[in-house]
Amino acid sequence: MKAPLSFVLNGSNVTAEADGSTRLLDLLRVSLNHTGTKGGCGEGECGACTVLVDGLAVNSCLYPALEVEGKHVTTIEGLRTIDNKLSIVQQAFVDTSGIQCGFCTPGMIMTAKALLDNNPDPTDEEIREVLLGNLCRCTGYVQIVESIKTAASRLKENR
Amino acid sequence: MKDFRHIGKDIPRPEAPDKAAGKAVYIHDLVRPGMLFGKIKFSDHAHARILRIDTSKAEKLPGVKAVITAYNTPELRIGFVRDNFALKKDKVRQFRDEVAAVAAIDPHTAAEAVGLIKVEYEPIPGVFSPEEAMEPGAPLVHETDPRGRPMKDNRHPLHYHHESGDVKAGEKAAKFVAQGEFSTQLVQQCCMGTAGCIAEFDMNNNLTMWAKTQIPFLAQRDFNQALSAMGLQNKNTRVIVPTLGGGFGTGLDTHAYEYIAILLAFRTGKPVKIVYTRDEEFANLSPRQSSRTKIIQGCDKNGKLTFRHAEVLQDNGAYTSWGATYPTVMMMPATSLYRVSNVYFDAKLVYTNNTYCQAMRGYGNPEFTWALENNMDQLAEKAEIDPFEFRMINCNQPGETTPMGLKVSTCGLKECMESVAGKLNWKKSRSQKKQRGIGMASLIHVGGGGRIYRSDGSGLILKLDDFGNVNTYCGGVEMGQGLHAVLILEIAEALGVQPEKVFINPTDTGTCPWDVGTHASRGAFMAGNTAIMAAKKLRDQIFEHAEQLFPELAAKNLKKYQKKHPDYAPPDFDIKQAAKRDRFDLVDGFVFLKDAPSEPWTRIELGALLRAIHFREQGQMLATEVFYDPPNELPDFEKGYGNMSATYAYGAQGVEVEVDTETGEVKILRMVAAHDVGRVLNPPALKGQIYGGLAQGVGYALYEQLQSERGRITNPNFRDYKIPTAHEMDFPIELDLIETNDQFGPFGAKGIAEPGLVPTAPAIANAIYNAVGVRIRDLPITPEKILAALEKLKSTKD
Amino acid sequence: MSRMDYYKPTSLDEAWKLKKLIPGSRFIAGGTDILVKIKNREVSPPALISLRSISELTGIQSGNVTRIGAMTTISELIQHRALAVKYPVLVEAAGRLGSVQIRNVATVGGNLCNCSPCADTALPLLVLEARVLLQSPGKEREVPLNEFFVGPGESCIAAGEILTAILLDRPAPDAQATSLKKGRVKMDLAIASVAALLEMDGKNCKKARLAAGSVAPVPLRLYQVEELLENGPITKAKLAEAQKLAVKSISPITDVRSTDNYRRQIVSVYVKRCLEKLMGGNP
Repeated sequence: MKAPLSFVLNGSNVTAEADGSTRLLDLLRVSLNHTGTKGGCGEGECGACTVLVDGLAVNSCLYPALEVEGKHVTTIEGLRTIDNKLSIVQQAFVDTSGIQCGFCTPGMIMTAKALLDNNPDPTDEEIREVLLGNLCRCTGYVQIVESIKTAASRLKENR
Repeated sequence: MKDFRHIGKDIPRPEAPDKAAGKAVYIHDLVRPGMLFGKIKFSDHAHARILRIDTSKAEKLPGVKAVITAYNTPELRIGFVRDNFALKKDKVRQFRDEVAAVAAIDPHTAAEAVGLIKVEYEPIPGVFSPEEAMEPGAPLVHETDPRGRPMKDNRHPLHYHHESGDVKAGEKAAKFVAQGEFSTQLVQQCCMGTAGCIAEFDMNNNLTMWAKTQIPFLAQRDFNQALSAMGLQNKNTRVIVPTLGGGFGTGLDTHAYEYIAILLAFRTGKPVKIVYTRDEEFANLSPRQSSRTKIIQGCDKNGKLTFRHAEVLQDNGAYTSWGATYPTVMMMPATSLYRVSNVYFDAKLVYTNNTYCQAMRGYGNPEFTWALENNMDQLAEKAEIDPFEFRMINCNQPGETTPMGLKVSTCGLKECMESVAGKLNWKKSRSQKKQRGIGMASLIHVGGGGRIYRSDGSGLILKLDDFGNVNTYCGGVEMGQGLHAVLILEIAEALGVQPEKVFINPTDTGTCPWDVGTHASRGAFMAGNTAIMAAKKLRDQIFEHAEQLFPELAAKNLKKYQKKHPDYAPPDFDIKQAAKRDRFDLVDGFVFLKDAPSEPWTRIELGALLRAIHFREQGQMLATEVFYDPPNELPDFEKGYGNMSATYAYGAQGVEVEVDTETGEVKILRMVAAHDVGRVLNPPALKGQIYGGLAQGVGYALYEQLQSERGRITNPNFRDYKIPTAHEMDFPIELDLIETNDQFGPFGAKGIAEPGLVPTAPAIANAIYNAVGVRIRDLPITPEKILAALEKLKSTKD
Repeated sequence: MSRMDYYKPTSLDEAWKLKKLIPGSRFIAGGTDILVKIKNREVSPPALISLRSISELTGIQSGNVTRIGAMTTISELIQHRALAVKYPVLVEAAGRLGSVQIRNVATVGGNLCNCSPCADTALPLLVLEARVLLQSPGKEREVPLNEFFVGPGESCIAAGEILTAILLDRPAPDAQATSLKKGRVKMDLAIASVAALLEMDGKNCKKARLAAGSVAPVPLRLYQVEELLENGPITKAKLAEAQKLAVKSISPITDVRSTDNYRRQIVSVYVKRCLEKLMGGNP
């Protein structure tokens, strides 16, 4: 049985319908046409589907859609500024070559954003620790870690 | 050395901003109007006769639009030896065999319908290892060969062989001999974006395929053959490549799921999408081929190799894809890594009821290098020569022709090995305590295309527009490796425009020129050579028109300039007189005369010149198409001879490890990777290729293995198939990019996409041996194996 | 995934009512385990009853008895200051559970109720002698955690009961505990793990609590080892004996993740390493 649902997606109120089998990932990608969030494994191992719920990074493939009722959900689509510019974290990934095939990128960036929101000056070890839940097969993570460090220092300059 | 304006510069990838924004469109994101979702019913047995398929319940499920089996569709033979079928009839030969498929209005309904299909089987005993398969009276995987002739046993018809020099004499000349048997495991490519396609017919029965492929043009050929088999004579397929979530070899063949999508699309008259889930990808997509290699080498008292003898046995699985051709690449290191003149190489394949295999990065090279580089260390130890010194004694040289007939143009192997030894502080680090050790391994790989097909060619179309933009149509595939970024630099450099003016169009067989495929580390090499050819042709066209149009444009320019600067007196120079086609140059998007004084009005913006060429009587638009087929040969693989690549990439990697002798855990402390890359085209992209290759090499060495039990994959998920995370890659990696400026390479560059993972595993194995004295011969090197080996070592010492 | 209904009761009473009303329905906490099982069609309940909105199940009260609400997420647990001071071993082991994304939704109650032999929070809670509070309409009972686990995926929870909280006594002032986990890579289900707690009085071991994970049908207390170590000094010989006893107490299996032999070896080494660490490296 589908139930109505309303929540805040990237700053805007949205309403949708879902039942118990609807994952937040499906709600975003299929019902709300936000395909920036990727589905990689369906069981919380790869992190491609990472989004923020009330500021916390979660796997949207393991998050029942009906649990976002009344909550704030942020996806990769919500990071871009309204004048079509990439956010600082996104731009750092572009500039520091943290992106190859790009399939893990939206999830990677969401995890990085959640980290930097809480810890503006992470060590290499802290960065690698939060990336445990985001698999990448292309980069060997070197340039991803560098991208997050670049983002951290640019965010500091901007503050 | 020539100064480059763009080559060697950091430019971000053109597609990166869209990927960072979540705007890039992967097959998973693509939707076509009226699209249905396909789902495949796979076999429940490794080997069984199909007695009955009952699809009636599935057909009745609301939302189901078609249910197909081999019994109600035309037979589509697939694979390069045609021993496979899109849908299986009569019998299944592996767990992933496709017995039926469904098209439905949504993925959920399709999955439910597949669950309603009932198949009755009569199980047949299976064979799950080459030994089992070769036992007398073993069940036959294929009763007949693709031509219908009865098979006597499970031996695969493909066979690879090489003999050169006099191995017997080499054995006699050897003072020291070392031998070993080394095996490698099944590995999944683990593209983060799983495999998938959309098939759609138009009303003329021509097909459009959105495919996750690295070979759009060979796929077009394959799909067109399928259309013929379906009775659609003279119909065409247009293959469009969406953004790829990784490739790593998975897109080198066409797949049963693609043909099934085609059958479903034709049956329903609707676009049909099939995208694998992660568990489907693990269980049903062909992984990296496994291998077993027996190797013996000998050297004289000075450490010079006198012979090499290697025999490879491959478990081919049930059908034939590119996994069966790994020995074509194995031959390269077998005959040509280090100097050895007496070589025997033989590779055999056996059909089994295991999953069959396809390409993955390195394609046979990591498999053979694993055996060879372990054995090099074994032999060095026997000869009591330091393994680095031993390798240096046998190092390849520029200009040599190897036993396989590989013509080595440039070779930076010596520099690479010296770099690794230097950075690891070799001598001192070899004799550390505390269970620490270092090791190294080297590689040779194709760096100038790799001819495994009758054409190794690539085309390029450059189309100039009224704004001075260079619209590019390239048959190569960007799958994350950075082809587009490199191609832009190569075009900008060769043509003389700014990189921002170069635009790359989606890869599409309908618009792009033919390309054999993006594999064998050939993308940047081929693209660069086509860019240079195309740029030359375009510049000739531009300068030819400039003879007539340039003086007029310059005069207009001067007039404008003088209006702004009334006191300006132009230098005395007759532009009309000087405007000869061979005196023009084009740099950074401006056309000018090389001899003319550099004045603000003597440089004409390319767009302005192009507009002048266009907007006049009998105007013209400029475009050019080129096709480059590199100077290499299709080897005779039964004789093992032929110069398969125009040039060869070399490299060496070194690693320092610490081994916990109580738990068997290996901690990598640091790695050094020195690669002969010819020329660095785009530093961040190049580094990304090597870092990424290394990480896959680390996974290959220590963590990854697709496990199976009697043919069934038992770890089809990331929970139990572990690839390195950021934590496992938490060690310093030092890169040394050695530029040998190859004469065949565009701007001197060699292909570099695969080498990063080739020597990683043996380098780690050699370091472990140095640290704790045990050599693990079968990958992956798990803590379990290390502990068992340490136990054994202890018991032999006691 | 087949269609499922989803309920979000806001009180325990409502949750119990729904559970009774819908045969076959399942409670869902963070969902990181059950949703995977549903995806893999290992279970297919007609409805899920979410415990997320029940305020009685949240919150951590630190006092003489510390009460951790069952729906406390692993992230909340490891970020809790008082817990980090009082029960560092719990915070240490919980920090090894999954990824940040998983820890942000997985709950301590869910981790226990999933009854996996590799549950990361089970071992520290076992050596801390935690109790779980099981509530049903009008009734509640406290069960020591070592009696809670019955078999793989099985606990002593009766139909209609909900694990509402984990209860921990104030630790003895001289108690110290530590834990080790072995995975194939860092983010992994444990292929073997060990936790240990010692209360020392000078050289004399007053109390020892040990537990091992992924080496038996349930997260396992190592009673025999505890008995051996208590009431006396922990000598080198005793330590070696403890390792042997630990190995004897477990019944590991070989599966896709590891082998029975390797798991024995890891338990032996980790028992030694945990105890050595607690004794400052000198038995």
